[in-house]
Amino acid sequence: MAEDNKEPRIGVFVCHCGTNIAGSIDVTAVKDYAQTLPGVTIADEYQYMCSTPGQSKIKAAIADYDLTGVVVAACSPRLHEPTFRVATQEGGLNPFRFEMANIREQNAWVHMHDRKAATDKAKDQVRIAVAKARLLEDLIPKSVPVEKAALVVGAGIGGIQASLDLGSAGIPVTLVERWPTVGGRMSQLDKTFPTLDCSQCILTPKMVDVGRHPMIDLKTYTEVESVEGYIGNFDVTLRRRARGVLTPEEAEARGIVGGGCNGCGDCEEVCPVIKSNEFEMGMAPRKAIYIFHAQVMPLLYTIDFDSCVKCGLCIEACGPDKRAIDLDMVDTFETVKVGTIILATGYDLIPIEGKREWGYKQFDNVITGLEFERLICASGPTVGHLIRPSDGATPMKVAFVLCAGSRDNSGGVAKPYCSRFCCMYSLKHAHQIMEKIPGAVPYLFYMDIRAFGKGYEEFYYRVQDEGAKFIRGRVSNIQEDVQTKNLHVFAEDTLLGRPVDLECDMVVLAAAIQPKADADSLRQMFGISKSQDGWYLEAHPKLNPCGTTTAGIFLAGVCQGPKDVPDTVAQAEGAASAASIPIHMGQVDLEPYFAVCIEEKCAGCGMCTNLCPFGALDLVDREDGTGNGKVMRVTEAKCKGCGTCGGFCPGGAIKMQHFTSEQIVGQIDAFLLEGEQ
Amino acid sequence: MHEYAFFLGCIAPNRYPGCEASAIKTSAKLDIDLLPLKGASCCPAPGAFGAIDLRVWYAMAARNICLAEDMGKDIALICNGCYKSIYEVNEKLKHNDDLRDGANEVLAEIDMEFKGSIDVWHLIELYYDPKICGVEKVRNSVTHPLTGTRIAPHYGCHLLKPAKERHFGDSENPMWFEELIEALGAEPIQYRNKMQCCGAGGGVRGYDLTQALDITNEKLINIEEVGADALTEFCPFCQLQYDRGQLEIAEKFGKTYNLPVLHYNELLGLAQGMSPDELALDLHGVDCKPFLEKIL
Repeated sequence: MAEDNKEPRIGVFVCHCGTNIAGSIDVTAVKDYAQTLPGVTIADEYQYMCSTPGQSKIKAAIADYDLTGVVVAACSPRLHEPTFRVATQEGGLNPFRFEMANIREQNAWVHMHDRKAATDKAKDQVRIAVAKARLLEDLIPKSVPVEKAALVVGAGIGGIQASLDLGSAGIPVTLVERWPTVGGRMSQLDKTFPTLDCSQCILTPKMVDVGRHPMIDLKTYTEVESVEGYIGNFDVTLRRRARGVLTPEEAEARGIVGGGCNGCGDCEEVCPVIKSNEFEMGMAPRKAIYIFHAQVMPLLYTIDFDSCVKCGLCIEACGPDKRAIDLDMVDTFETVKVGTIILATGYDLIPIEGKREWGYKQFDNVITGLEFERLICASGPTVGHLIRPSDGATPMKVAFVLCAGSRDNSGGVAKPYCSRFCCMYSLKHAHQIMEKIPGAVPYLFYMDIRAFGKGYEEFYYRVQDEGAKFIRGRVSNIQEDVQTKNLHVFAEDTLLGRPVDLECDMVVLAAAIQPKADADSLRQMFGISKSQDGWYLEAHPKLNPCGTTTAGIFLAGVCQGPKDVPDTVAQAEGAASAASIPIHMGQVDLEPYFAVCIEEKCAGCGMCTNLCPFGALDLVDREDGTGNGKVMRVTEAKCKGCGTCGGFCPGGAIKMQHFTSEQIVGQIDAFLLEGEQ
Repeated sequence: MHEYAFFLGCIAPNRYPGCEASAIKTSAKLDIDLLPLKGASCCPAPGAFGAIDLRVWYAMAARNICLAEDMGKDIALICNGCYKSIYEVNEKLKHNDDLRDGANEVLAEIDMEFKGSIDVWHLIELYYDPKICGVEKVRNSVTHPLTGTRIAPHYGCHLLKPAKERHFGDSENPMWFEELIEALGAEPIQYRNKMQCCGAGGGVRGYDLTQALDITNEKLINIEEVGADALTEFCPFCQLQYDRGQLEIAEKFGKTYNLPVLHYNELLGLAQGMSPDELALDLHGVDCKPFLEKIL
């Protein structure tokens, strides 16, 4: 280990990254320049510094030149800082005696056609990194215990699968769902492609499992209120919305033995308030006291207090034995402590009425794919009989508009990305109408059919053989015949090169999907990032698709980007596995970037304690035996190293480890003075 | 009082003097003063000129804009075709140095220069804009409401499209013109393919009259389907196509509609109490009497 008072001896290693860096930067010139910088003992270059030989160079140089610090000029520290820290450590130095200059993402890739400027900038970057490396200190990471419990947000198929995996691995899980029942979007679907299993039939066993799993604490009609803490030690406050109905357990706790809701539905029959049922996409009614459908989990009624008139008829109907209804119930809050969190919050359809040319919400017989699911589903509002909303007639010619708002750069409600499951469900819909309505013909207007999954292409051929018509062209306009309420679908058939005017009975828009309306506020609560399109951002698109850039928080399902059921389940299992690792390890190392109080400088003024956004600072009595005055103390596990206190402290008594004032000033000087001292 | 240089165009003064008269008289009641733009030429017609030589189109339109620049007033106009020429050339020359230099080279021969100092507006958008006038003000100016009439709106193409180069938002199924019609006490009706072209624009009428009338005929069928007492637009060229076009359709296709066609300014004039004579409605091809009988 290097000693702190030793003269700095820095090794600089410049990476070619094949031609990623060397293609735009004169690597040798950067290396030669580094060799001239004060404190640099050895400078070297290599094709791939992250490779085993590259790392060996670092280790060898530390031994050969008795280095005190290492600088690698290569890619983003997000990618390889851990790699080089390990190499530095294996060479015999403290791993925090390593500094990285990002000359790839922040240089070579943005200045691809200006070699001289890129090379000059790389020299600046290396000089700045060396300035910091000269002042780096040994740091020891703190490890903190990890709470053996996990939180899963959202109980669609993704959240259900993740919870079941975690629970079966012996980890206590709190599963939170906003709706009164688990199941999510998948429970709204009729059949699943390409196997045509009934969606509910394959989902309900899992819904039941999640409800009765001994390790899973299912909290429906509950939302996340606030999140505090960090990996291993999250404190999550949940808002249990007032449901107005007691479970048998809650009833027993109130001394009503054998009472509580048994799902009999007597209350629903007498309730005089009628609202539209959101589970049925508004195509069926529900009462103010309701369940969405027969297979809800838990089987427990819910009162919609926004529409309940508190007439009390339901209390009468429920009777004195069960006494399950409490019209005075209010929201309650509870805090759960968990080690890791999985977000599985799903999606909504875009407001496709914003594509005015297709007439959704203007013309009765233009519906969305999700509405089609409910209309074709045996447990749906029409008991599985597909009908036209305008007159209840059976549609014989149905047009399907694929990429309705997906892969569409026209702005407004449209999305540039592919929503990934619409091709396949539209093929499934085509199959279903041909199966259920003899003689019915589906017309699919498409750009490309993206049948990418296992068995999908085969399903595409099957639907073609069954007689579905495919028209390659985007729909420009849909018009309604005011008398018949039939629809004219206009497009260009780009294979035949001629315009199409198809009169049909019904149009199904395969509407694009988008993150939930409150996805952004939830994201900020959990402190994770989003990608440009609004979906939650994974830690790495290829190599870490379940993680986020916030340690301890993982993603499952469509909240991270459009995906179908198989992909959602796969990602959920991946997220469960990833979320279980810190829990099984029992502890995690925290980066030692916390604030440190220099007690001899601290005046005990306490200004910093109020500034800290994380409540990590306290004023305590001095322990020097004098009993004189106070001193600030840092709770390291709470400190996130933001630097607010360090920047503010009037006495300069707070040191931000790894980002000390000396280090930062040194970097600024190195940049502005161009190496002059 | 908001003052504008009034760009007349060709069709209004030559074919439908009522469009010109009603524009000046109705806007005066809405605190908009349309000042004569002296020396103005044809806009020039975007289809006919633009399709043949864009440089001519830019230079001629720029000359008209220069006249208003000299007055120090924004331009207001009442024709979608004029709007395309004058508005679009103004925007293009403002933002494209090469085009501006090219136009100014031509203008230099007559000692003029395009400076880019004014904006161009369609009178209908000034009526709709609450900062200038607004629907409520239009409603309050009505003394003879058109109660009980069903009126089909026609937006025309050049005002709204290409949507990316305009500022009217939704161009697929806009509803703001309906608000202005409703403000007159009339019922705006919806019909199939409302946003389809009248058939005339882009030089189609000049190039292939039968094709142009075929499009017009389809629009008229769609309007007949839901029933209307009149059609209104804010473009004299659309008006020509629907109005004279009905006579041509009767001749060529043997189909008669007798659907009166009125510029919005003419409708507004009637609602503000102007007489049919003042609006020269007798010069319309289709007899407006059945409509007038409903409201007078």
